[in-house]
Amino acid sequence: MNRRLASLDSWLGVTIFLAVWQALSALGLLDPRIIPSPIAVVAGTASHLTLAQFLGDVEASLFRVMAGFLIASVLGVVLGVASGWYPLVGDLLRAPIDLLRPIPPLAWIPAALIWFGLGEPSKVFVISLGAFFPAFTNTLAGMRKIDRDILNAARMMGLSGWRLLYRVAVPAIEPDILTGLRIAWSLSFGVLVAAELIASQSGLGNLIVRARELGQIDLVVFGILAIGITTLLTDFIIAQFFFRFRLRWYVKATTAGLAGTRER
Amino acid sequence: MSDTLGTGSGPDGKAKATVAPGQGECRPSIEAERQPGWAVSRHLRQTGLPLLSVAVILAFWEGAAQLGLFDASTIPPPSRVLSTVWELQTLGFPRGSSLLTHMGSTLGRVAAGYALAAVLGIPLGMLIGRSLRASRMVLPIVTFARSVATLSLLPLAVLWFGVGEESKVFLITYGCFWVLLTNVIDGAKNVDPALIRAALMLDTSPRAMFYRVILPSALPYIFSGLRLALGLGFMVIVGVELIGTSIGLGALISQARTFYRMDLVFAGMVAIALFGLLIALGLSWLERLLLPWARESK
Repeated sequence: MNRRLASLDSWLGVTIFLAVWQALSALGLLDPRIIPSPIAVVAGTASHLTLAQFLGDVEASLFRVMAGFLIASVLGVVLGVASGWYPLVGDLLRAPIDLLRPIPPLAWIPAALIWFGLGEPSKVFVISLGAFFPAFTNTLAGMRKIDRDILNAARMMGLSGWRLLYRVAVPAIEPDILTGLRIAWSLSFGVLVAAELIASQSGLGNLIVRARELGQIDLVVFGILAIGITTLLTDFIIAQFFFRFRLRWYVKATTAGLAGTRER
Repeated sequence: MSDTLGTGSGPDGKAKATVAPGQGECRPSIEAERQPGWAVSRHLRQTGLPLLSVAVILAFWEGAAQLGLFDASTIPPPSRVLSTVWELQTLGFPRGSSLLTHMGSTLGRVAAGYALAAVLGIPLGMLIGRSLRASRMVLPIVTFARSVATLSLLPLAVLWFGVGEESKVFLITYGCFWVLLTNVIDGAKNVDPALIRAALMLDTSPRAMFYRVILPSALPYIFSGLRLALGLGFMVIVGVELIGTSIGLGALISQARTFYRMDLVFAGMVAIALFGLLIALGLSWLERLLLPWARESK
């Protein structure tokens, strides 16, 4: 009941927003050469862009993000777990990672272009740099606040070493890993767009560049919205996947109020 | 004492043997903390090892470059980067613009956009957050606006504000605003109802309710929003400056690349890293100063 009301309000909000935008354009208060109306965006996009072209751009962008994200999340999670589990690894990795972290991923773009050229590797490199830090930091934070009672209980039952890590510790921090991966994913898109604006022949960022060069402002707006929607949709899929297959215990525990101590 | 926390099956010696069969150092930190004598060496390791690892990396990097194991023009050694930082400050890279000029220009843009986002976002977020209906209605819009990559707005910003400072400030404001707004709304929403009821019982005026109950309890959220926003603003400005400007840290490394001056790119990145570090430290210092009661909840 309450949830239904909430989603009704959400739709109402979006509808009002679009209606006001459209109305302001129709009344001539918004210059169509600067901000096209929602209807003009849809109509203009339909005439300027074919579906095949659009899907090609989505595919190119998704490939880059996925490649960078996969490299970064594997590295980030593995190193994060290792740093939390083995004090030696943690102490050795902490300083180099803390020194590199304050450099925004976009600042690596010029260096990446020199090292890897204009092709795909430079984009994948920069994206994976951006995605690495959130994946690593959140995994490590999860390892640090692991409930010691769980570990001790598992030890009492005879688990130790690798098996304790793999069967108990890693599953226990999966909610934190998920948080890290989701932050990493949306950051990847931000980095991707910058990389595509600077140097690329395809992708959603390049779609915006092409549209601007041709003066098709409606298509520019469409490209911006398309990037936002792609980010949201893929993030939703990742979260759903985790909640369905990996985190059922966590969802149950949170709704039952059992995992309250893990919140923040 | 360690027995009560231990595996429960035997004395310390036994527990150690089962946890680390042939793994030497590789013992979980939780296990390590329990052993007397470990604490001292642990402290030493916590400060010594990070220093050691950085020193070793720098030494290898420098040594390998000196021996010519890789091309020093694509991966300049630390000594070269340092001397370039000096050259940059004294001679300037696009002639006459020293490192401090670049830093000042970047700082000015971030400060303007960030301040604008704070001035707009904090009052608006407090207003929206106090109304359940309003916060529900704006939720999808805010979520969407946040996931729009800020840099994708660059072509529009140029169209609206020209290529000057305004478009850069706009993009920083946009990036910071939505992150901040989300946190402020959360803060205004999550005031403990018991506090509000108590205040009402004491006949608190609406004005006092806002300044003495709602605002203080929302402040920790506002601060975490401010911290996130600053990080984002910093990332946005570097991206914006990479494209079509000549002054600013992002512009510096972008132009250095076109001249294939990798040492300058690295020097610029060092400056950017230092900058980011200083800003983060400053903000957490400010937070401790202004919000002593929120230290626990962080």
